[in-house]
Amino acid sequence: MADQITTGTVLIVDDDEDMLRLVATWLNHAGYATHTATTGADALTRIAISRPDVVITDLFMEGMNGLALLTKIHASNPLLPVIMLSGQAQIPDAVQATHLGTAAFLTKPIAKEQLLKEVRQHLATATVRRGRKGIFAERLIHRSALISELIEQSELLAQSDVSVFIAGETGTGKEVLAHAIHDASPRRERPFIGINCGAIPEQLLESELFGHEKGAFTGAHNRHDGLFLAADGGTLFLDEIGDMPHGLQVKLLRVLQDLQVRPVGSTKSVPINVRVISATHHDLEALVKAGEFRDDLYYRLNVIPLRMPSLVERREDIALLLEHFLARHAEKVHGLKKRFEPDALEYLTAAAWPGNVRQLMNAVELCATLTAGGIIPLAMAMRALREESGSMQTLKEAREDFEKKYLISVMRVANGNVATAARIAGRNRTEFYKLLGTYGIEAGEFRAAAE
Amino acid sequence: MSARIVVKIDPDIEDLIPGFLANRRRDVDSLKSLVANEDYAAVRVIGHSMKGAGGGYGFDVITEIGDTIESAALRVDGDAIMAAAAELADYLARVEPVYD
Repeated sequence: MADQITTGTVLIVDDDEDMLRLVATWLNHAGYATHTATTGADALTRIAISRPDVVITDLFMEGMNGLALLTKIHASNPLLPVIMLSGQAQIPDAVQATHLGTAAFLTKPIAKEQLLKEVRQHLATATVRRGRKGIFAERLIHRSALISELIEQSELLAQSDVSVFIAGETGTGKEVLAHAIHDASPRRERPFIGINCGAIPEQLLESELFGHEKGAFTGAHNRHDGLFLAADGGTLFLDEIGDMPHGLQVKLLRVLQDLQVRPVGSTKSVPINVRVISATHHDLEALVKAGEFRDDLYYRLNVIPLRMPSLVERREDIALLLEHFLARHAEKVHGLKKRFEPDALEYLTAAAWPGNVRQLMNAVELCATLTAGGIIPLAMAMRALREESGSMQTLKEAREDFEKKYLISVMRVANGNVATAARIAGRNRTEFYKLLGTYGIEAGEFRAAAE
Repeated sequence: MSARIVVKIDPDIEDLIPGFLANRRRDVDSLKSLVANEDYAAVRVIGHSMKGAGGGYGFDVITEIGDTIESAALRVDGDAIMAAAAELADYLARVEPVYD
């Protein structure tokens, strides 16, 4: 069949060599590449090395059985389709496999066409998803697991219309992510419009967002549609939503609830079809607690929270990003791509980057522009970062930093219950209390926040 | 001598058939010694594998015999296993794959 998807790699796992050979031969004849493994442990190694598109595994295997393997696969590759083969049509096994997220549960002896149909179907889905993931991979240059996981989530949520909230420090690329979500979504043919809610005075922002009628206020010489209407069918990105004036927050909430806007000076509401993605570098939860941001709007916007990690959290991406921006600069000036000398590269990789990817991009631009030759020296890299960069944290500082953040997150999960938090952290209560004391963390604050 | 049993096999897997049938002949020998040693867990694994693979290769009878062996192993029924092993040996002696 011309429309069959016959490219892709399948990993077959079975401790019966005859079954492995049979299934591999069927798949090879159908045009698929195959790898085989005879144990669950071997399969996990194969997955890490050859990144198959689909896994077919036997249920009944010595050591790690198919269900345990499925659980382990999905712990690190939640979207990898796993087809389960079973020698017995045991309903509890099928139910458990389905519960664990198996793509299909087939009973042996397997019919060739049935198996090929399942593989075809799951590969087709994987191919579409790979294409969508490519949109993110092009925009978010990375090799870090943190960004890979973010892409996995973003690719999935791009297919829905739910409101997304992106947290993250300034310069981490929140708008880049928002735009990629739009481009990977069914709304991609319609506009993506971004606005910085913190950069515009309240009255102007209201008119910018919701539009106005001619003569609605002094200076309103013409009717203006507003960004909600301009983004109709597409995505509106509300950056720095934490800076939105309180008065406007109520109006925005009303728009999001009613899915219609009423331009300033108009008596008529107009229906809208817009997906809203919002972002801020502020701790929005803290702003809600401080009464500076409406909690009802917060919950409306924060249906799916994402977080763009800071550059130091994804330090392994720095060299890749430097290369990327050097190549982009060379392209822009139609010149040869420059490179950093090893000392400069080491210095930049270890820098603190308070301004994140945006600061890195500007630093590369400065270095590439001001370096006459092809090699950018350490002195230039240091000049690009001036005094801002500081130096990399010591291990002790990094450990303390991590420990504090971890304790806060565990206490938040446990709603301030120290016994529960200690259990989650795998420490006894006395020891855990001591740790909280070291960092000045008060259990009561979390209990109050949970109430 | 008993009649040949002609079985139609998918030509895509023609190369695998001699090896598959040779492995089943080995299973016959293994079953005899495993029953003698009362290793019914190992017998069950053989029966389970035959049951799973037989029909996929096109030999439905091997799947049926495998099922019989697996059930007999669970019951610790050595006689039934030996009878099934004999049936398998007879089948293997008579089967004639045709690739069509």
